[in-house]
Amino acid sequence: MSDFENEEKIKASIEAKFQGAVSNALVQRRNRVWLDCATEKLPELLGWMKTEGFVYLATITGFDEGENLGACYHMTNARVIVTVRVKTPRANPSIPSVLKIFPGAVSYERELEDMFGIKIAGLPAGRRYPLPEDFPTDQYPLRKDWKFVPPAEETEAK
Amino acid sequence: MSKITIPLGPQHPALKEPENFMLVLEGEQITGATVNLGYNHRGMEKAAEERTYMQDLYLIERVCGICSHSHTTCYITNVEELAKAETPKRALAIRTLFGELERVHSHLLWLGVAGYEMGFETLFMYTWRDREQVLDCLEMLSGNRVHYSINTLGGVRRDITAEQKAGVLKRIKYLEERTKYYISLATEETTLLARTQNVGKLPYDVAIERGAVGPTARASGIARDVRKDDPYLIYGELDFKLITHNTCDVFGRLVVRALELMESYKMIEQILNNLPEGPIAVKVPWRIPAGEAVNHYEAPRGEDIHYLKANNTDKPERLKVRAPTLANLQSVAYMMEGGWLADVPLVIAAIDPCMSCTDRAVVWNPKKGKKEIYGWEELRKMGIEHYKRRGVDFTKL
Repeated sequence: MSDFENEEKIKASIEAKFQGAVSNALVQRRNRVWLDCATEKLPELLGWMKTEGFVYLATITGFDEGENLGACYHMTNARVIVTVRVKTPRANPSIPSVLKIFPGAVSYERELEDMFGIKIAGLPAGRRYPLPEDFPTDQYPLRKDWKFVPPAEETEAK
Repeated sequence: MSKITIPLGPQHPALKEPENFMLVLEGEQITGATVNLGYNHRGMEKAAEERTYMQDLYLIERVCGICSHSHTTCYITNVEELAKAETPKRALAIRTLFGELERVHSHLLWLGVAGYEMGFETLFMYTWRDREQVLDCLEMLSGNRVHYSINTLGGVRRDITAEQKAGVLKRIKYLEERTKYYISLATEETTLLARTQNVGKLPYDVAIERGAVGPTARASGIARDVRKDDPYLIYGELDFKLITHNTCDVFGRLVVRALELMESYKMIEQILNNLPEGPIAVKVPWRIPAGEAVNHYEAPRGEDIHYLKANNTDKPERLKVRAPTLANLQSVAYMMEGGWLADVPLVIAAIDPCMSCTDRAVVWNPKKGKKEIYGWEELRKMGIEHYKRRGVDFTKL
């Protein structure tokens, strides 16, 4: 029996409920659980977790792995943090929106769109965040192949 | 009555930092509010990927001018977890001490700002005068008032001597007396009650729905505090109470913070009187083994959460920072709806927002083609001479 009975129970219940959709589930240490989820099952999984006491979506971390882009959804009941990873192909990146379950996640989802260029299916149109309005829409600064090029130095007006 | 939409910010006298609120008004009553952010984005997460773990420590410290210790501690916990470093107990105790001194400094600052937004400027003067005591403690211990830079990979940079301990305890005693006065002020002074009660309501279930954190959540009756829920550093061994309040308004947020100050003093005394012996730092390799870690930390304003992914090099693969204000701003929009325009600054101030602040006197001189950094004395001299040329000369008075 593991030292982390409660964490193992959380992991087992998610695996049982979402058979086939969840993989690589891991109890890393006390209060930390990690798992991968099939992208299309994400809203369903988070919705179910919310009813199980994981009422906070702490934040969403986007990542770039080369072939795939993806996001980590850090769910917490204040005590245990369950990180749900989803991946999406770089050629056509898209993740379903979880706004129906967590209305507060709007700025995190906009950040994924702005910084990684991941299309969030179901995210209503609105002001961009966090990049400024005049930032090019085909550049995604947090992707690994994006490099910061300092603007040409301003010279004194003649 | 017809509806009017007015923008509040990004530059506005009532706001200390750039953010924008679109307020829909019917007369003086607010019927809708949206929050717009991003005016202060500094690209730190990208910058962190191009720096070493040690350099990032100093970058992350500058995420915030007040919670500087909170962010570095959260970051460093992740790094040490991935490096499997055994941080000495004494270092953890010193980090906890700084965490609580920082909370005292932040809460006193907030109390002053809240007083100022209410129009109660005496309170502002009082609390900021008292706050100097805790800043003196921090300066004495670390050499710095704001960016203490006490954390380093594997431990802390400075030890605490017996004289420093006595100096901190003396100042904490004084602050304890002052805080008792503020608590009686907050709960008895009629003008203060009139100005804060039933203002900026955030009911329990809405606070959960919108993911409120920190004193904002605790003033809505949510018993949520990372120090209790998932103890880090040495909080598991300290005796302190989790403060909550059930009025769900600005008054509640005031009481929660004032009472938390007393708990912090208690903790500071406990840490200093039982400081474990031993080394203050261990060596941590420059290359961090591949892996992922996520940690949270109870910053003065609420839960701070950091995610770190390492890739076997000396630079992080990905670093994510979520500061408490981003979690709380969703609640602000709710708090303002149905309220009065005149309450807006107070309601915004009541979550203790921090869009991050940075200020430096670096002057770019295009003729010389180089940067010049001015110290306080030079800036002062420049100011005096600038006005002298315009006929204002104080030396003749």
